[in-house]
Amino acid sequence: MFAGGSAVGVLFTPAPWRLITDTALWSENWPGIPAPPRGEIRARFTNCSLCTAGCAVRARCVGDQPVELAGVAGHPLSRGVLCPFGIVGHHLPFLPARLQSGPVPQAAAAVADGIAKCGPAEFVATLDLRPGRTASWTYRRAMKAIPNGRYLAPSAYTQAAVDLSKARTVLSFGVPVLDGWGTPGNVIAARAGFRLIQVEAVESRTASMADRWLRVRPGSGDALAQALAGRIPHSAAADATGLTIPEIDALANELEQSGPVLVLGSSQLASTGGTVVARRDTPVPDEWNQSAPVTELASLPDRSIRVLLIDESMPGGYLSWNTIAHKLVADNPVVVTFASSREGYARHANYALPVAVYPEVAADIPTAIDSVAAAFRISAPLVAPPPGTVSPEAFVAAAARLAIGDTLRERADAIHKSARGTLFTPADGKSQAVKNVTADDFWKALNAGGCWIDQPAAKATAARLTFAALAQQPVEEAELPLAIVLARELAPGLPLLSKVYQESNLRLAPGRVALHPACGLEDGSRAVFETLLGKCAAGVTLDPGIPPGIVLVSASPALLDLSGDGARAKVVRA
Amino acid sequence: MKRSIPFLAGLAVALGAGWLAFPRVLYRSSPQPVNFSHKIHADKAGAKCEDCHAFRDDGTFAGLPTLDKCAGCHAAPMGTTAAEKSFIDDFVTPNREPRWASYARQPENVSFSHAAHVKRAKLACAACHGNTGAGNAPRPYQIDRISGYSRDIWKTPGMAHGMKMADCVDCHRRQGLEHSCLDCHK
Repeated sequence: MFAGGSAVGVLFTPAPWRLITDTALWSENWPGIPAPPRGEIRARFTNCSLCTAGCAVRARCVGDQPVELAGVAGHPLSRGVLCPFGIVGHHLPFLPARLQSGPVPQAAAAVADGIAKCGPAEFVATLDLRPGRTASWTYRRAMKAIPNGRYLAPSAYTQAAVDLSKARTVLSFGVPVLDGWGTPGNVIAARAGFRLIQVEAVESRTASMADRWLRVRPGSGDALAQALAGRIPHSAAADATGLTIPEIDALANELEQSGPVLVLGSSQLASTGGTVVARRDTPVPDEWNQSAPVTELASLPDRSIRVLLIDESMPGGYLSWNTIAHKLVADNPVVVTFASSREGYARHANYALPVAVYPEVAADIPTAIDSVAAAFRISAPLVAPPPGTVSPEAFVAAAARLAIGDTLRERADAIHKSARGTLFTPADGKSQAVKNVTADDFWKALNAGGCWIDQPAAKATAARLTFAALAQQPVEEAELPLAIVLARELAPGLPLLSKVYQESNLRLAPGRVALHPACGLEDGSRAVFETLLGKCAAGVTLDPGIPPGIVLVSASPALLDLSGDGARAKVVRA
Repeated sequence: MKRSIPFLAGLAVALGAGWLAFPRVLYRSSPQPVNFSHKIHADKAGAKCEDCHAFRDDGTFAGLPTLDKCAGCHAAPMGTTAAEKSFIDDFVTPNREPRWASYARQPENVSFSHAAHVKRAKLACAACHGNTGAGNAPRPYQIDRISGYSRDIWKTPGMAHGMKMADCVDCHRRQGLEHSCLDCHK
C-alpha cells in the first residue's frame, strides 16, 4: 500500500515529467555531438564559387568558422541576393559523402608514365568543367608544354553576354531562366522588364513562373525554332511540337512586335536589339596567351586520349562518361579526376584525388552569362581545407613540368595593369576606378571579397534573331516508351541540400526520376532506369506536372551518363 | 481507515520528495565569481542594460561585458566594500576575466538573435531575463545535472515566459509571426 501511495503521489510531482524532459534535452547535447567552437564574432566577405554567378557573400563567422552566409547589399552584380545553394554553401565541407583521401603519388607516377608512353597519334588532355578560370589558363599552358597536349572544355558561349535589362521578350527553350540560370539578383531585378515565354515539355519551376508556358513534345524545340526562323512551315512545326498552328503564328507575331527579343537555348543565343553583346576578355599576363587553344572533345578521334585529367572540383558542366570513354585509348588509359565526391567521374577514373571545396579554396569565378562586362572575383577561403586535398592546378602544372607561381596574383596584376574598370569593395559598399588603386591594395581588396568589373565594350554587337543551332537531339526510334527530359540543375552530383530535397520534394533529388502519377509505379519506390546505353537504379517521384510518356531525369551523373534530351527510356519496378 | 494509512503515508512521502527534495537534487548550484549588483549600477551609476550588454557595430549582440568594460570605471576601487576590494584584487589588478555563468545561455544547436528581438521587436530585456537586472546580488547559477541547462530556461520570477523552444514558438504564434526550424537551428 505504501508503494502504491508513493507511485500515485510521484505522478503528482514534477519529478517524472522533468526526468523525461531533461533526458530529452540531454540527448540533444550528449557526448559525440560536435559543438562549434566559440570565438570572436565578425563578418568576412568572399564570393560564392558554386556557380558562375559568383554572388558576393557576407559570412558571419564565430572565430574562424562561418556560421551564416548572406548576400552583400548594394553589390553591382549580385545585388544582395544569394540562392538557396549559396545560403548553405558553408555546409559543403562537412558533407558525409566527401572524398577524403586519394592515391596522389601513385596518380602522379601513372600520369608521368602515361605522358612518356603517349604515341604520336595519341593525346594528353585536361578536361575542364569550369572553363574561364585562372586555373583554366594554367591547364592551357600546361597542355601547351606537353607534346600532344589538349585542353578540353564543354562548349559554352563565354564571349557572348546577355543584357537582360534590354530584353522585352525572352523566349527560352528549356533554359531555367528563373531557377539557376544567370545571376539570381540580376534576374530578379530585370524580371519586371521582360515577358518570359518558356518552351518546355514539362512544367518546370521556370515554366510555372513564366508569363506563358508553351508545352511541346520532348526534343521538338528545334522544329519550333526553325519555324520561327521561316525555314520550315508552321504546320511542320505544329506536327513536331504538338502546338497548334495559330499558337505558332501568334508566337511569331509576338516576337516580331515585342522586341527587343532574347532567345535562350541550351547552348546558343539569338537576339534582336542588342540583348546579346560581345564581352571583352578579362586580362591575363601576356605570356599566358601562348597557351593551348580550347578543343572540343568531339573533335578528337576515337581511341586517342592516353592520359585524361578531369577537373570537376568546381560545379560545372557535365559530359556523359560514354562520350568520354569512346575517346580513350583501348589499352590502359590513365584517367585522373579531381573531385570532392565519388558521385561523378570518380566512378570511372583510375585515380580520384580529393580537392578542397567552397569555401575552403581560393579560386576565381568566370564571368556570368548575364554580366555585360567582364568581372573578376576571388572566392577567398573562409576555412582551411582538410589535409590530404590536392590542388588540381598544381598537379596538372607539375605533370607538365610547368613552373607556376601565384597565378591568381599574376592575373590580378594583369587586370590592374590594364587600368580598366572599377573595383567594388563589399565592406564599405563603394566602387572606385582601378587606376586609383595600387596593385597591392587591389590584390588585398580582391581577397577581401572585392569585385573587379570591366568597362562595358564600347560597341555592343547585336546579333540578328537567327535561331541558329538551337538543336536538340532528335527523338530516337526505339521500343522505349518514355521520352527523356533532363532537369536543369546547378551542377550534377552537387550534394548540397540533398537531404532537404529528399524530405521536401522541393526539387528532384539526385538519383531520382519523375513520372506522371498514372505510370503504374509508387511515389518513393525504387526502380530501374533503362536506356539504349544501359541501366541503373533510380528513385521514383510522381509529379502531375510531368505529362504521360515523359520521364524527368535528375541531374546526377549516373543518370546523365545514360540520358540525353530527346532520348528514350523505360522505368520499371526494381 | 487504518488500511489506507500506508497508502497516504506513501503518497505524502512521494509528494514531499517530488516537490521539495527532487529540485534540490536535480540542480547543482554555483556562485557567480563577483558579487555584482545590477541595482547599484542602475541606481547610482545610472547604467542601462545596453550600456554593458551592448550591440556591436555590425548589429550582433556582445552578451556579457568583458573586464575592459568594468575596468573603465573600476580601474581603482570605487568605495570600500569587501566586494569591491575583492573584485579589484582578484580580477582588475591581475587583468583576469571573471568567468561569469550565463543564466540564459542557449545550447549550441540554437542561434538566437538579440538584435531581432530587442531592436526590431522592441522586447524588454526582462521579458526573457526576468528580475536579473534589478537584483542586489547575483543569484547562484543553477544547472540541471541531467540536461546541463540553466534553471532559467524554465520561467523564473519576473520573466514573461521561459526560454525553451516551446516558449519561443508560443510567443511567435501569439504575435502571428512566421517561424521555421532554420530560423534558430541553422
